[in-house]
Amino acid sequence: MSLLVKARSFLRNLLLARRAESDFDQEVHSHLQMLTEENIRAGMSPEEAHRSAHIELGGIEQVKEQVREERLGNGLHSLLSDCRFALRQLRKNPVFTAVAILTLALGIGATTAIFSVVYGVLLRPLPYPDSGRIMAIFEINTAGTPSRVADPNFDDFRDQNRSFQAIAKYGGDVASVSGPSAPTRTTVASVSPDFFKVFAVQPILGREFSVNEAKKGAGPTVLVSYGYWKEYLGSPQDLSQSHLKINDAVFSVIGVLPAGFRFPAEVDLWLPADLEGENTSRTSHNYSAVGRLRDGVTVGQANQDISDIARRIHDTSTEQGDYLLKGGLVIPLRESITGKARSALLVLLGAVGFLLLVACANVANLLLAQATVRERELAIRNALGASRRRLIRQFLTEAFLLSLLGGGLGLLGAFWGVAGLVALAPENLPRLDSVSISLPILAFAFLLTTVVAAGLGAFIAARATSTDLSKGLGEGGRGQAGSQTGRRVGRVIVVAQIAITLVLVVGAGLLGRSMMKVLEVNPGFRIDKIVTMDVSLPSVDDQKAKAGQAMFFANLIERLKQIPGVRRVGASSGLPMDGGLPDGMFLLMTQNEMPKNLDGFGVLLQQKERIGNADFCVATDGYFQALEIPLIRGRIFDQRDSADSPHVAVISESLARDRWPHQDPIGHTIEFGNMDGDLRLLTIVGIVGDTHEYGLDVPPRPTVYVNLFQRPRPAMTLTMLSDTDTQLVTSAARGILQDLNPETPARFRTLAQVYLSSLGSRRFNVILIGFFGITALLLATAGVFGVMAYSVSRRTREIGVRIALGADPGTVLKMILGQGLRTVFIGVVIGIIGSLLLTRTVKSLLFDVAPTDPLTFGLVTLLLVGVALLACYLPARRATRVDPVIALRYE
Amino acid sequence: MNREPTTLLQGTLDLLILKSLVAGEMHGLGISRRIQQITGGTFDVKPGSLFPALHRMEEEGWISSFWGDSENNRRAKYYRLTKTGTKQLEVETKRWTRISWAMARALEAS
Repeated sequence: MSLLVKARSFLRNLLLARRAESDFDQEVHSHLQMLTEENIRAGMSPEEAHRSAHIELGGIEQVKEQVREERLGNGLHSLLSDCRFALRQLRKNPVFTAVAILTLALGIGATTAIFSVVYGVLLRPLPYPDSGRIMAIFEINTAGTPSRVADPNFDDFRDQNRSFQAIAKYGGDVASVSGPSAPTRTTVASVSPDFFKVFAVQPILGREFSVNEAKKGAGPTVLVSYGYWKEYLGSPQDLSQSHLKINDAVFSVIGVLPAGFRFPAEVDLWLPADLEGENTSRTSHNYSAVGRLRDGVTVGQANQDISDIARRIHDTSTEQGDYLLKGGLVIPLRESITGKARSALLVLLGAVGFLLLVACANVANLLLAQATVRERELAIRNALGASRRRLIRQFLTEAFLLSLLGGGLGLLGAFWGVAGLVALAPENLPRLDSVSISLPILAFAFLLTTVVAAGLGAFIAARATSTDLSKGLGEGGRGQAGSQTGRRVGRVIVVAQIAITLVLVVGAGLLGRSMMKVLEVNPGFRIDKIVTMDVSLPSVDDQKAKAGQAMFFANLIERLKQIPGVRRVGASSGLPMDGGLPDGMFLLMTQNEMPKNLDGFGVLLQQKERIGNADFCVATDGYFQALEIPLIRGRIFDQRDSADSPHVAVISESLARDRWPHQDPIGHTIEFGNMDGDLRLLTIVGIVGDTHEYGLDVPPRPTVYVNLFQRPRPAMTLTMLSDTDTQLVTSAARGILQDLNPETPARFRTLAQVYLSSLGSRRFNVILIGFFGITALLLATAGVFGVMAYSVSRRTREIGVRIALGADPGTVLKMILGQGLRTVFIGVVIGIIGSLLLTRTVKSLLFDVAPTDPLTFGLVTLLLVGVALLACYLPARRATRVDPVIALRYE
Repeated sequence: MNREPTTLLQGTLDLLILKSLVAGEMHGLGISRRIQQITGGTFDVKPGSLFPALHRMEEEGWISSFWGDSENNRRAKYYRLTKTGTKQLEVETKRWTRISWAMARALEAS
C-alpha cells in the first residue's frame, strides 16, 4: 500500500514536475496571504503585516528548495538538471572545455593503450584450459640461471616428480616441408607424448601420438595446426592420404589441432621427439619443458619437488662440471614467456601513469581557475537556497561529465594508439598478438575515468565550497582575498607537475643516452649492403652425405658470386644479433692426443686447466670478407683447408685474450668435437675481431670459427655483400637456389633488418618514454603558464597600485618572475629527489649510463627550468604593462 | 522571538503534525497554529520545516491534500489524515510515550 503511494508520488514528481511546482507555489502564496491577514487582524498596518509575514515565512526560494529536496525522486531529477546545467557551463567556455577534455583524453587514452599492451602481454591468461596450472620447468646451471633440460634429466623429472599430472619436453626448429605444396620453411616442434595433455587440448580431427609412435624407430607421424590443415592440406576430413615430407623423411598426418593452438609460437607441425633416440648426456640441454600441476599442488611445492630431484641428479651424476645442472626451477608458463619484457613494460606503465597525473594536474588547475571565476555564481546560488551539498554535487557532476567525455575520446584514441603500439613494438615482444582493446580494457578505461572524475570532482568541490560562500557577493566578484588560498593550491599543483615531469624527462633522458651509447658501440662487422639467405638442408648422418652438402654450399656460393653487383659471398651457421650461437666447453690439447670418442672427451673435461668456453660458429672465408670482420693475426680459411687436410679454427680476439693471455694462440690445438660430433683436433690459424653476437649492449662472446668445408652443416645462412638493389639480388639468389635444389626453400633478410630488430626493444622504450616525457613537459609548461597568467590577471589591481606608487617595470617583472621561479625551483628539487629514488627501477634498461647520471640530470633540469622560465616570463611581461589608471578603475 | 529548537527530531515533528490533524482537515498555517496551541506555545513550527515535512508525509501516504476555501474564502491547500496516517499516529504515539516515560525516569533517577 505505502509502496504504491510512494511509486505514485515518485512518478508524479518526475512526470508532473511543473504542476507540482506551481501547486506548491500557490500553497506558499496563500500561506503568505493568510499570515498577512492574521497580522492585520492582530492590529498591524498592512505594510507591517506584509513584512512580518515574510519574515515568519523565511526566504520563499529557500523554502521551495527545501521542499524540492524532500521530494521523492529528487535525486534523479536534480541529477538531470545538474547535467543540463553542467553541459551549459561547458558549452559556455568552449576553450576551457576543449582543453580540459583533450588533456584528459590524452592522459586516459595513453594510459589505456599502454595498459592494453601490459594486459595482453603480462596479465591475460594463456588461451588454454585452466592455464594458470601450466608451468615451465627449467634446470638451474652453475651460473645460477635457468637453462633448458637435458634428456636424462627430463626423464628423471618426469618419473620422480609428485607435483605434475602431465609433463612434457619440446623443442622448435625450422624445417623444409613439402608434400601438398612446394617446399616451405615451416616451424616444427618436436614434443614428447604428454605435450598435449599439459595444455589440455585434443585434436579436433584424428588423434594424438600413441606412446609407441613416440619411440625410437617408430613410423614418422605428425600433427598439424588448424591453419596449416586449411591452407596447405585443403582441410580434408580423411587424413589417411595426407603425408608431409619434412627434411626428406615422409610423415603421416594423424591429427589436426584446434584453431588458435600454436605452442611454441608460430608452430605449424608437431612431431614426436626422440624418433632418433634420446641423447644420453646430462649436459646437452636440448629441450624446453612444461608441466601441468596436479590439483592442490602449489607452484612452490612443485618447485621444491623438481629442485630436490635436480639436486639428487647433481650429487650422483658422473658428468660433473660447469654444464651439469645444480638445481631446478618451476615457474608459471606465462611468466616464463614474458619474463624479459616484464620490467620494461611495467616501467612504461609507470611512466604513462605519471603522464596521466600531469594531465590531471593541468585539468585540476583549469577547474580551480574556473571555480574562482564562479565564486559569484556560487554565492548567488547559495543565497537562492542551494545547499552546500547541492553545490558539491554540481561540481562532481561537472567533473564527471568532463572526465567521461575525455575518457570516451581517450578510448577512441586508444584504439588507434594500440594499433600504433603493436606496429612499433619489437618483434621479440612475446604475445603481441593477444594485445587488443578487449572487455577488460574497456572496464579498465571506465574505472580509470571514474577514478579521475572522482579525484577531480572531490578536489574541486572541496576547494570551491571551502570558503565562505557569501563573501563572493560582498567582494563585488573580485574575490581577491578568497582566492589567496586558491592561488596557493594552484602553485602546489604546479610544483607536483614539475616534479613528476622532471622524473619522466630524466627517465627519457637516461634511456636516450643509453641508446646513444649503444649506437656508439662498434658491432665488429659491416651492417649495410648485406643480403642474407637462410638455407636449411635435411640433417644427415653419414660422412659422404655431409660432404655432399658441403659441396652444395660451395657450388651455391660460387653461383651467387656471379650475380651482377655481388662482391663477396660467405656462409655462417648464424648471423650476429640474431639469437646467438650454440656455446660449449672445448679442450686445450697437444697434437696427436685426439680422444677416441665422446666419453673420452668427457673424461678430459675433468681437467679444469684444459677447459675453455666459447661459442661455436661454422663459417667460410667469404663470411669474414663479406661482413668485413677484420683479421687481427694469422690467416682465415683458404684452399689449403680441404676436408682431408688438418682441421683448422679461427678464434675471436676476446677468446685469444682470455684463454691465451701473454701467449700466441696460433698453432695451438683444441678439441671442440662435442659441438658437431667430429672429434678431429682443430689447429688455430688466425685471430679475427670480436662481433657483438647478442646485440650491441651485450659484450662480445668468445667465439671459435670452424670451416664449413671441413665441418659440414646442413643449415647455413649465406651472406652477400652487394652494391645493387636488394630485390634484384634476392630474386637472382632465389633463382639460383631453385636451380640447384628445388626442394629447399630460403628466407631472405638484410643484415640491416636483423641489426635494427636487435635494437627493437630499446627503440620502443626510448620512443614511448620520450613521447611521455615531451608530452608531460608540454603539459607542465602549459600548467606553469596558466597559473602564472591567471595569478597576474587576478593581481592586476595590486600591480596597478604598485606601479602607481612608483614601482618600475623591472621591479614588477622581478616580483612576478621570482614568484614563478620559487614554484619551479621547489618542483625541480622534489623532482630531482624523486628521480634519484625512482631511476633505479629502470637500471636494467640502461646501458653504460648510471641511473644517477649527472649529465642527464643537469641537462634535464636546465631544460625544465628554461622552459618554465619562458612560461613565467610571458605573463610577467604582461604584468609590467599594466596601466595603473585602467587597473584601478577596473571595478 | 521564540526560537524553534533546530534539533527537533523529525519523528517529533511528524507526530505533532499527525496529532494536530486528528481534530480535522487543516491548511498549513492552521497546522502551525494548532501545534503552537496544543504544545502551549513550546513549538513554533516555521514554514521552512513545516512544508518539507508535509510533502514528505504526503508522499509516505500518511496524509492527503486537496484545495479548499479557507475561513476567509481564500483558496488554501488542506491536509487530512489517511488510514495509514491514523495507524502511523498510533504507532508513533506508543513509541513516544515509551521514550518520554523512559527519559523522565532516567532524569529523575539522577
